[in-house]
Amino acid sequence: MNGIPMEHGLILAAILFAIGLAGLMFRRNMVFVLMSLEIMLNSAGLAFIVAGTAWEQPEGQAMFLLVITLAAAEASVGLALLIQLYQRFRTLDTDAVSGMRG
Amino acid sequence: MLTSAHMMALTPVILVCATAVTVMLGIAWRRQHAATALVSILGLNLALVSLYLVYSAGDVSTPLLVFDRLSMLGMVLVLASTLACLTMSHAYLEGYPGRKEEFYLLMLCAAAGGMVLVASQHLATLFFGLELLSMPLYGMLAYTYRDKRSLESGIKYLVLSAAATAFLLFGMALLYSQSGRLDIAGLLAGLESSGGGAWALAGAGLMLVGLGFKLSIVPFHLWTPDVYQGGPGPAATFLATASKAAVFIVLLRIVMVAPAFHVEWLHTVLGGLALLTMIVGNLLALIQTNLKRLLGYSSIAHFGYLLVALVVADGLAVETAGIYLITYLMTTLGAFGVVTLLSSPYSGEDASALHHYRGLFWRRPYLAAVLTVCLLSLAGIPFTAGFIGKFYIVALGVEAGRWWLVGGIIAGSVIGLYYYLRVMVTLYLVEPGMRGRDAPDNWGMKAGGVVVLGLALLVIAFGVYPTPVIDWMSVLTSPVH
Amino acid sequence: MGVSMSYLPLTFLLPLLGTFILALSRGHMSERGSVWVGVSSVGLAALVTAFITIQFMSGDQSAQTLTLWTWISVGNFTPTIGLALDGLSITMLGIITGVGFLIHLFAAWYMRGEEGITRFFAYMNLFVFSMVLLVLGDNLMLLFLGWEGVGICSYLLIGYYYRDSANGAAAFKAFLITRIGDVFLAIGLFLIFAELGTLNIAAILEQAPAHWATGDSLVRWAALMFLGGALGKSAQLPLHTWLADAMAGPTPVSALIHAATMVTAGVYLIARMHGIFDLAPDVLHLVGVIGAATLLMAGFAALAQTDIKRILAYSTMSQIGYMFLALGVGAYDSAIFHLMTHAFFKALLFLSAGAVIVSCHHEQDMRKLGGLWRRLPLAYMGFIVGGAALSALPLVTAGFYSKDDILWQSLAADQKGLLLAGLVGALLTSLYTVRLIIGTFHGEMKSDHARNAEPGRGLQHGLPLILLAVLSTFIGAMIHPPLSGVLPASPGESTEAGHTALELIAAGTAIAGIALAAWLFLRKREALARLVSGGPGASLWTLWNQAWGFDLLFDRLLVRPFRILVFILRRDIIDALFGLVASITKGLNAGLTRTQTGRVRTYATSMVLGATVVLIFLAFGQ
Repeated sequence: MNGIPMEHGLILAAILFAIGLAGLMFRRNMVFVLMSLEIMLNSAGLAFIVAGTAWEQPEGQAMFLLVITLAAAEASVGLALLIQLYQRFRTLDTDAVSGMRG
Repeated sequence: MLTSAHMMALTPVILVCATAVTVMLGIAWRRQHAATALVSILGLNLALVSLYLVYSAGDVSTPLLVFDRLSMLGMVLVLASTLACLTMSHAYLEGYPGRKEEFYLLMLCAAAGGMVLVASQHLATLFFGLELLSMPLYGMLAYTYRDKRSLESGIKYLVLSAAATAFLLFGMALLYSQSGRLDIAGLLAGLESSGGGAWALAGAGLMLVGLGFKLSIVPFHLWTPDVYQGGPGPAATFLATASKAAVFIVLLRIVMVAPAFHVEWLHTVLGGLALLTMIVGNLLALIQTNLKRLLGYSSIAHFGYLLVALVVADGLAVETAGIYLITYLMTTLGAFGVVTLLSSPYSGEDASALHHYRGLFWRRPYLAAVLTVCLLSLAGIPFTAGFIGKFYIVALGVEAGRWWLVGGIIAGSVIGLYYYLRVMVTLYLVEPGMRGRDAPDNWGMKAGGVVVLGLALLVIAFGVYPTPVIDWMSVLTSPVH
Repeated sequence: MGVSMSYLPLTFLLPLLGTFILALSRGHMSERGSVWVGVSSVGLAALVTAFITIQFMSGDQSAQTLTLWTWISVGNFTPTIGLALDGLSITMLGIITGVGFLIHLFAAWYMRGEEGITRFFAYMNLFVFSMVLLVLGDNLMLLFLGWEGVGICSYLLIGYYYRDSANGAAAFKAFLITRIGDVFLAIGLFLIFAELGTLNIAAILEQAPAHWATGDSLVRWAALMFLGGALGKSAQLPLHTWLADAMAGPTPVSALIHAATMVTAGVYLIARMHGIFDLAPDVLHLVGVIGAATLLMAGFAALAQTDIKRILAYSTMSQIGYMFLALGVGAYDSAIFHLMTHAFFKALLFLSAGAVIVSCHHEQDMRKLGGLWRRLPLAYMGFIVGGAALSALPLVTAGFYSKDDILWQSLAADQKGLLLAGLVGALLTSLYTVRLIIGTFHGEMKSDHARNAEPGRGLQHGLPLILLAVLSTFIGAMIHPPLSGVLPASPGESTEAGHTALELIAAGTAIAGIALAAWLFLRKREALARLVSGGPGASLWTLWNQAWGFDLLFDRLLVRPFRILVFILRRDIIDALFGLVASITKGLNAGLTRTQTGRVRTYATSMVLGATVVLIFLAFGQ
């Protein structure tokens, strides 16, 4: 280990996670929402890498591979829906997609 | 090493995946709706049969997956629910103008995900199964994307489910960082020895958020009614049954194997969430006028009741959870099935507004009877399956002295009775001049009709003569010998 | 356990199957098909019953139980679904399926060409199912289930001709008043379960004497509650007012439900729970007193009716009054014996009345009938035989043996007052029976309906009447219910002193009643008409015609004050409390619904907030 405590890595990941969350809560543009989701997923991936390095195990990196696979799949489906969103609603504002409520 | 015993144990999952591949190749070769449905149903039936063989062969455990009785139970539930959904999909998609066949592909993939999820005993497979279950659901929910509501439900589920997954993953990463293990048993043991700590606690909490979202536990429940309402009937049915059952089973497994879960603070949190969920779910349904939304709220409430089994987590808890889950599945499949059949063949938005159901009895007595039985069962009236489930949950709560939860169940049931009865009364009202949506005349011929009728009979049979299912459940949920 | 026991479930599964087939046909079934399904299901059940009865009688006649399954088993609450077969239930089973089959057969003739005949037979089969469940259940829960089931079927069948709103009102009245009784029964059930921890009938009867001393206040309450249930179902004072209105249903329904079977369920209940009543002698005595009061009240009321079905309805109340009287003096088997003979002859009378009604184009007012004996010989025969049995004509009728037995038991139990009531009742019975027969069949024909009467034809019409007529004679009385060992010994078993004298008195009363009535209604008709047309005679007539004005009394005493009370209490504080709960619920609903904004961002925010709360709680919880 190169002297950086695991906690620091985790805190960094947590900050990234919080940034992603904030984006999810406050951005209305669908593109930014998807980006925020990517940030959240990647922060989890980072946490796995950090933990795996701390324990000197390959599992953390294996999990990271799974996570980015998921993130890619998620993004592709998300972008597909985004295109449809623009075609149907003529906007990328997620607040516009609130036909069902109550 | 992958031995023949492992291969043998994997057969059901492999069969479902193989069916998915077959369906995919079939679509590439020639589009044929009926054949696709038939192949899918055949594959799932084969998987169910092979499940019996696997069961009689005994338990098999690998580092990633475990094939014990609980996973058998989970797989049976997932496969049976998927079968019912698939059967109803055929009637539903007949009228869909776009491409129909991919829907089956998606559902088969999701079923495979559910099966992996219930058998997982490692965070990697848990995560993998959960995502394999959820990812196709985005597609299924937005399948009829020309309808704005379907698209909306797909987008909502995608965004929120991805966020929940992020919570889950981050929680996993935190737990891993504290224990250095990814297999569930080792991880929890590691935490036990290291004494937890703030990071581990936060990890457990975040995982709870992630899984709680999938089960629509209050306050992570807001997506449920919107997604149910907008998604096509079969997709919403799948989401309400197979998907939730699989997630609940894995949560049950974690609680079962985890000594760390036998700590009061976690029980208190779970108990609080359960109480909140059953009350809020029922309250939200009170004056709802859209049946699919109402069923969504009702499913929120039912998972509140189910959580009681996790809170108690000893004695008959697992058996009770199994019994409740199976009654919930039967009933929900039946109720959603009627909604799906009434919206079949697809012609725009589903027939889910309550006024579509006004006087249904006088037009479609069988469907109305099925729906009545299911609503009675959801309300927990004696001599329906729902009563048996609720009785076990209440008995469990009383046994464990969780009076707050018992009170919550009773209060929730009283509120529930009100809105279930309201729907039932609607079914029998006579209103001249009002044309509701209707199932096609030959619905009885269609396999979907047979399925819902069978489900209704099952609900009554289980309510009157529950012994075989209870015995079966106590065998399946007994600890591995 | 004999082989026959395993066939026992067929006795109620067959009618249930019939109901399902009829209900699932969704009105697409032909009339012929409906009749076939409806009648044959009960017919087969009757055959099974006959088979079981033969096996039972040739065996040692001991009680047998058949446990079907355990419903649920949580802790010590393990209600089993089981059937019990003993002399009492087999007697009831025979009446329900046997008489039930004959009535179903007759109904095939009576209901031909009616709209909704499928619905009719579906309800009738469902009724037989519930009634069989009621008498076969080995625990009170099953009994209660059957009890509610027959109540619902009765409601549905009284309101069968639903297009007439008066019939709907009659059905509703019957349902409501019997519900009052049902509530009492339910309370009794809870009481028993709370005290003894079981609902199994055999276990209750076994444990009760050890658990309670005779006259213990709790056992008296339990007995009172059961009595309340029985009063409602069996139309005894003061819960009797529904039965006369229940005649709005088709006549076979009146024969089956409101004469032969369901209304006697109260008698069955008390006989079944005799162990409880024996521990509460004063309640048991009350049973007898209510029976005596009812039989007199209904007897007078029957004298002043003009609708033939209403006469029979009051007569039914009166005869069930006899059964209650018998129960009250501890002569349980006499009550069941009379229940059986009554089922025969009252079914006969109702079916004959049905034959008259259909033949005369649904005219059932005696004032518009008359002189029918030539045109409708079979119905006339039915009325003569049934009427003779009802008024207990000595030696040749079944009614004589059973009613005489009841009178004798009350003498043996030294209940002189009850005995006297019984004798007066016998006189009344003869009077109204003869009046009914003379009014319907003799004299001149008083309307075109009567003049154009068409006699019924065919096996479905003739066979039930003839068979029931045979059973109403002394032949029917030769069937002795195998009740020894099931029910406690009657007071009259130890002594024979005065039996012959009483028999003579009873026989004399019946004959004197008939002779008096014949003289009055044949010779002194004008004098009678003058008597009731003015002065105190007219008031008495009106009073009896309105059955002592109970309906009016209830209306003034209960319904109106209740309405006024409701009116006053509209803004009551307790009401406001309930209103508060409702409005809090609604407010919560409104508040929570507002969270469902439909916006993804809101939902994500809620997740984040939820996660924060969970994390904070976990942090502090440790």
